[in-house]
Amino acid sequence: MDSILSWIGTAGMTGEAWLRHTTPDKYSAQTLQLSSETILQISTELLKSPPPSVDSSALDSTITRTRQHIAEMARLVQAKNSPAFARQLDSLRADQKIVKQFSDSIEAAQ
Amino acid sequence: MKVVHDVLDKELIDRDDEPIGRVDGLVMHVGERSQPRITHIAVGGTALWERVHPAFARLSKRLARIWGPKRTEQVRIPWSRVKTAGRDIKLDVEGKETGAIDWEIWISRHIIKRIPGAGGDEEDDGSQS
Amino acid sequence: MSKVLQITLGIITSIGGFLEIGSVITAAQAGAGFGYKLLWAILLGTLCLVFLVEMSGRLAAVSKHTIVEATRARFGFPFFFIVTIGMGIVAFLVLIAELGGIGLALQILTGIGFPWWAVPVSIVVWLLMWKGSFSLIENGASLLGLVTISFVVAAFKLHPDWSSAAHGLVPSLPGDDKAKYWFVAVSILGASISPYLMYFYSSGAVEDEWDETYIPINRVIAGIGMTFGGFLSMAVLVGAALFFYPKGIQIDKFEQASLLMTSALPKWGFFLFALSMLFACLGAALEISLAIAYFFAQGFGWNWSEDMNPSRDARFAFTYTIIILLAAVPLLLGIDPVKVTVISMALTSATLPLAIVPFLFLMNDPVYLGDHRNGWLSNTVVSVVILISFVLAIISIPLEFLGS
Repeated sequence: MDSILSWIGTAGMTGEAWLRHTTPDKYSAQTLQLSSETILQISTELLKSPPPSVDSSALDSTITRTRQHIAEMARLVQAKNSPAFARQLDSLRADQKIVKQFSDSIEAAQ
Repeated sequence: MKVVHDVLDKELIDRDDEPIGRVDGLVMHVGERSQPRITHIAVGGTALWERVHPAFARLSKRLARIWGPKRTEQVRIPWSRVKTAGRDIKLDVEGKETGAIDWEIWISRHIIKRIPGAGGDEEDDGSQS
Repeated sequence: MSKVLQITLGIITSIGGFLEIGSVITAAQAGAGFGYKLLWAILLGTLCLVFLVEMSGRLAAVSKHTIVEATRARFGFPFFFIVTIGMGIVAFLVLIAELGGIGLALQILTGIGFPWWAVPVSIVVWLLMWKGSFSLIENGASLLGLVTISFVVAAFKLHPDWSSAAHGLVPSLPGDDKAKYWFVAVSILGASISPYLMYFYSSGAVEDEWDETYIPINRVIAGIGMTFGGFLSMAVLVGAALFFYPKGIQIDKFEQASLLMTSALPKWGFFLFALSMLFACLGAALEISLAIAYFFAQGFGWNWSEDMNPSRDARFAFTYTIIILLAAVPLLLGIDPVKVTVISMALTSATLPLAIVPFLFLMNDPVYLGDHRNGWLSNTVVSVVILISFVLAIISIPLEFLGS
């Protein structure tokens, strides 16, 4: 779970950096893409043997939604659409909080 | 006489003060009634690899047959050609004559000089300027 | 060149040449994963390195031999061969990592993946060695490497809490993630105490024809240069601690590390990171290729001067050519240089005794050092740190691999 949060955080930081015009487009899009793919890999592994203390289908759908936000952000970078990007980033942040809650409850149960 | 340990693995310097290799092995003569003495310095090839493991020596022999300068015997430098033996072993013979730098010359001619920019204008003897 | 100028140049090249992918990635991972807590590992490693580099220079100045030459002469070929294999394998892995680092820096700048850069980068590195002189390589790459000072600037701009940071200089036990903590500590030690640096330094000293009058200069260069280099590593850790740690971001990939300076230096931070890695890894790749080639050349008694045309030190030139070509292969296959970095840094720690124990024997041998043998301080510091590194490595490497 920590890895998933790490990559969601990465996507968030990449997003913020791009919005502030501190990073090039290609790099930002590729890193967002990488984040999304890595989260998919990790979550697929994780959900093979889901932790008992959480509703795994809810977790799965949250993570899927998160990945979709990130993938959308990658597309918006190439379209250079900052306002839409910023909205996606906000949604991402919201999802991040939810995933964090999942993570906390898993840890608490261990 | 020089103790083997003082000679082995030391650097060999030729008559022109060029380094030509290291003492990789020694050939000793053990007489019936005389002290063992060093007769030759061996350079390269099987003499060196024998000291690690015979399998390496066999491998090196096989490699030398298919590649590099075609030497059949071990490079041997008579002990009489040694001028001084201290931290390095100084010889009174020219490097080229000993055969110790045959591989250097071969690789220089057949591989290195074929690549542009190798700077092969100097005398083709593998020695420094 | 006046002695003052030589000292200045020596210090500048030591600082510029200090960071490479190993020190940056391990410091970034440490900061991101554990905040300031692993600063002590950088301190310990750098301290040990100061002594080792000083010793390398002193050996060359007094005995006029490089470490490799002296090792074979003193211990004989069979033992020397074992050291060569051990050091050679680990150094080769580090070389792959450095070439990969150059490729990754180019990747984040251009968007073109690092495997595509493997061949061009290898060719450039090879060409620099083929046509270049020792001074060009040593000084040129290190001067370019001074761009890594931007890490220090970035760290300051993030306004660290200096007293918390200072606490990190004292070794402490980890809370969670114990296996990872010690593994990263081991990697940092392996990144700081790079044997190839010692071999390169002693070869340079012999190539520059140092004598006993250089002993004080050597002490100053080693002391000040390596210490400031250590500060650079610490700056990377501090920056990572302030940027990644609060957000729970772990550094698994180069792309993540690239964000390090984007908040501290908004306009240039990203490019400075890329350039820093580009030049730092370039310098390191050159040094390591030379160091490996020196091992073979000096050990077997071939000509080895970097200032000679390749046709005059053919076997030496052939060796580094083959090494660079082979190192490009894993990168072409897409093997992640960051993974190679982490593994090679840990392996360096584990194999340190193989390089350092014979070296300590040499440094205490009157035949080579005469009156300039090691004092008790040098022997003690180096022995203790190497022992710590080795023990930690033996314990933490298997644990880390069992865990993941």
